[in-house]
Amino acid sequence: MPEDDRLAFPDAPRSELEDTLHDLVAHAEKVLRTQGRLRHLLRANRVIVEQLDLDQVLHRIAEAAVELVDAEYGALGVISPDGGLERFLHVGIPDAEVARIGPPPRGLGLLGAVIDTAAPIRLAHLGEDPRSAGFPAAHPAMDAFLGVPIRVRDEVFGNLYLANPRAGAFTAEDEELVSSLAASAGIAIENARLYDATLRRERWSVALAEVTQALLSGADDNALAVIAERLAAVVGADLIAVVVPDDPAAALAEQDPTLRVEIARGEGGADLVGRSFARAGTLAERALSTGMLAASDGSQPGIPVEGAAPLGPTIALPLRAAEEQLGVLLVSRAVGAARFDAAELEMASDFASQAGVAIELSRARADRERLRIIDDRSRIARDLHDHVIQRLFGSGLALQAVASRHPEVRESVHAQVEAIDAAIAEIRTAIFALAHDDRGEGASLRRRVLDVVAESTPALGLRPRVSFAGPIDLHATGALADDVVAVVRETLANVARHAAASEVELALAIEGDRLAVTVDDDGVGVDPGVARASGLANLRERALAHGGDFTLEARDDGGTRARWTAEIAEEEGTT
Amino acid sequence: MTRVFLVDDHEIVRRGIAELIDAERDLEVVGEADSVGRAPARIAATSPEVVVLDVRLPDGSGIDLCRTLKSSNPELRCIMLTAYDDDEAATSAVLAGADGYVLKDIRGQNLLEGIRRVARGESLLPRGLAAKVVASVGASVGAPASRSDEPDLTLRERQVLELIADGLTNRQIGERLELAEKTVKNYVSGLLAKLGMERRTQAAVYGAEHRQRER
Repeated sequence: MPEDDRLAFPDAPRSELEDTLHDLVAHAEKVLRTQGRLRHLLRANRVIVEQLDLDQVLHRIAEAAVELVDAEYGALGVISPDGGLERFLHVGIPDAEVARIGPPPRGLGLLGAVIDTAAPIRLAHLGEDPRSAGFPAAHPAMDAFLGVPIRVRDEVFGNLYLANPRAGAFTAEDEELVSSLAASAGIAIENARLYDATLRRERWSVALAEVTQALLSGADDNALAVIAERLAAVVGADLIAVVVPDDPAAALAEQDPTLRVEIARGEGGADLVGRSFARAGTLAERALSTGMLAASDGSQPGIPVEGAAPLGPTIALPLRAAEEQLGVLLVSRAVGAARFDAAELEMASDFASQAGVAIELSRARADRERLRIIDDRSRIARDLHDHVIQRLFGSGLALQAVASRHPEVRESVHAQVEAIDAAIAEIRTAIFALAHDDRGEGASLRRRVLDVVAESTPALGLRPRVSFAGPIDLHATGALADDVVAVVRETLANVARHAAASEVELALAIEGDRLAVTVDDDGVGVDPGVARASGLANLRERALAHGGDFTLEARDDGGTRARWTAEIAEEEGTT
Repeated sequence: MTRVFLVDDHEIVRRGIAELIDAERDLEVVGEADSVGRAPARIAATSPEVVVLDVRLPDGSGIDLCRTLKSSNPELRCIMLTAYDDDEAATSAVLAGADGYVLKDIRGQNLLEGIRRVARGESLLPRGLAAKVVASVGASVGAPASRSDEPDLTLRERQVLELIADGLTNRQIGERLELAEKTVKNYVSGLLAKLGMERRTQAAVYGAEHRQRER
């Protein structure tokens, strides 16, 4: 109600009435003003409760408080778990000025006093209070002060700080109103936190569903990378890494001393991949040994290798499939960032354990797929053996019988039979390759030779023809087999480097008491400079060590023949 | 005239070999069989000097068949004929106690020459091959890379394997180890199973057919 809207009476006897009326009006005005402020409070309440985003809520609370008591400056400080101020949002000081003031207050002096007493503090002149710690140089002058704690449930969440009301001083009514606002603020903050937690939970579930989907669809065979990437996308993390035991077999025996960074995404992640560190005493070790989540505030680094950038809050989650420890998922935030709260820890644990299940499923699927391929391969091998070779062989025999009865066609039949024999030999090699898919150590010499040929194919730009004759695997084992593999690799590499061949043939044969490796190519021929090269000298030495020889010569029809021989020991490998 | 008997489940192969053999003056085919089941009776009836038999037969293994034939008639000469490669064939021949093996290659008259040589009492298997097979068998069964559900060879199986490598028939092994011939036969089958010979010979076929019937 406007101030000049007064009732006026002309004569004195009415002055008493006038006074009374005046008082009444003043009272009414006060009521109205109070009502206005209450309405203001209600509006402020509504505004802050409407917000669901926590940051927005905090800003609105500070703004509403400033507006409510018509103060020049206002701020909201969030109390950290260790008692200081974790966040400080202010109203009334322009950003440029804030930058000049320096770092935000940490909760010392009067601000700290509100934290300690957990009750409102109202001062006419804050400079006169013994608890005041003063201001930084560029800080604007502040005099009248009101500090009110904000409680969420029974815990003090933070404080509202107000300074310099336009009325000069804060009244008891101001304190009451701000306290009332703080009560609503507590509820709004709790709502926002719940909402935030729900949102995050939803994001985690979506991420988890995506991981599961990605793993099950089989589009990406690197399950751990999928997990790291999805996790990085949803959680506020600066580095996500997966560390795995360096040697899975040793890990099973629980004696593996080192862990290796398998995957790292985020800050400096690329430099960490492939690095190893001692397992003992690390956060990852804690997660692996307890099978549960382990957390650190940053004092214990997730990846303790030299040169790794320092990081803040870190959690380590064990990744398991069935009873097997796959590794540890490490999630880190930057130094000084908020630590992972209870909800995040719980969700992260869920994530890791469900990711383990997903990995297990994806492995089972891969196993099935592999079995199917093996099934297919053995079926093809069987078909080739049972039908194709038998028919070729039978027809070839029949052809030969014809040739022996009709000498005039002998020549052309021989050519046909030779072609059929070559086809049978190739199919035999194919059957061997299909039926023997065992790789790695302990694989037979023929398997290893086929693998080397497959490796050399890109460099050669063509697929060499391979033939085996005689029981090669039975005769060549141990050091001889290793040398043959090295010889095949070196010889094919030479052809790739120098020959520019369009056809390459590799033959391994048992010839009496010798094993012969022959590589024919139709390339540019032998360069005398190459013939002296150290690689060839090495080949010759290997041959001589086995009582054999190595020759490199031009073929009559162009190209080159490399021939390496070795004696096969009579009873090598017997017990 | 050397009398030859053929055991192969592919008619086209038997016909081809028969033509090849019959074209030779000194050789003749006296009988044929297409399975393990039919072979022994026909062989007994035709009394051949040389049996040429496929490693893989529809109702069993040519290795087992060869050992059975040799047990009842050690004078019988046997050649394993196979579409598999040399390593497989050589191992099969040693385990079968055969006198040699010939790959299903057409050229080189390997088969005819082989038949003549074994008929003269020669072995086609080079000296030392048996020892290498025993070593390779030991390695493949004992190797860490082999399946964990395949146990190592038992002492008995090792003894049987050594005697196989020495060229003894099932009956002779039985006498040496004081076991029934049938028991020796079981050890041999167990041995073949552990080596995966069964899997690579007939078991694979039966497994596949069995699965198809189940569907």
